[in-house]
Amino acid sequence: MSRNCDEALANLYAYLDREMDEVSAEEIRAHLAECGGCDRPFDFERRLREVIRTKLDEDVPEEIIARIRAAIATEAQA
Amino acid sequence: MADQARFEEDALQYARQLYSAAVRMTRNPQDAEDLVQETFLKAYRAYDSFEEGTNLKAWLYRILTNTFINKYRADSRRPRESELGDVEDLYMYRRIASGDSGEASRSAEERVLDGLVEEDIKRAVEELPEIFRIPVLLADLEGFSYKEIAEILDIPIGTVMSRLHRGRKAMQKRLWDYAEQRGLSPERRNRHEPEL
Repeated sequence: MSRNCDEALANLYAYLDREMDEVSAEEIRAHLAECGGCDRPFDFERRLREVIRTKLDEDVPEEIIARIRAAIATEAQA
Repeated sequence: MADQARFEEDALQYARQLYSAAVRMTRNPQDAEDLVQETFLKAYRAYDSFEEGTNLKAWLYRILTNTFINKYRADSRRPRESELGDVEDLYMYRRIASGDSGEASRSAEERVLDGLVEEDIKRAVEELPEIFRIPVLLADLEGFSYKEIAEILDIPIGTVMSRLHRGRKAMQKRLWDYAEQRGLSPERRNRHEPEL
């Protein structure tokens, strides 16, 4: 583990959240490309996040949309 | 100034996303429906004060979260930052990677990621105290930036970052506990292997 690894891991969330400036993000990308150790946790966190996002998505029942439209129509006439 | 006549066309496209967030906030489909409906009605009434060209999605989420906090909050006491214990960074990854190296660890990662069950993920989010749950939902479900979350929740960006960080770690700890209960963790497998 080098100082670069510590720095990359400390910025993992900011990087995955796309909250870094382009120069710093490029430094992380360059480090990940050459470091055999750091690409793993980055990759794991990215995939975990994708799994979480997909599984949390709910289908909104059509009747809910219909009720919202009806409520707005009533409000518009008031 | 936005035109109220165009409200449905502009805003209803976000209904699905708002509903997903509302279910995780209220932990109950009926309350989520009421919350989303109330959000859209409030937004409709206030639409002529919405500044066209600014972030409509964030504006709707701001109404959603404020309505939730004021009306549906199960927990009426003031939530505290200290409610979550401290959890190690990269909690799940470190548990999977410990002991194993190379390919064995890779396949252990796959097993855990593929084996995570929808019910456990929902439970892990819903168990987070609200002050952590809402920023995590806004970032990880909705993809809002730190700045947008700060504006939606009316808190400083630094607070957004620390709540996100702690909330995500706490969620990983719960997810890991559930994964272990389902026999997905490497240790659990090893313990069981001699019995097979």
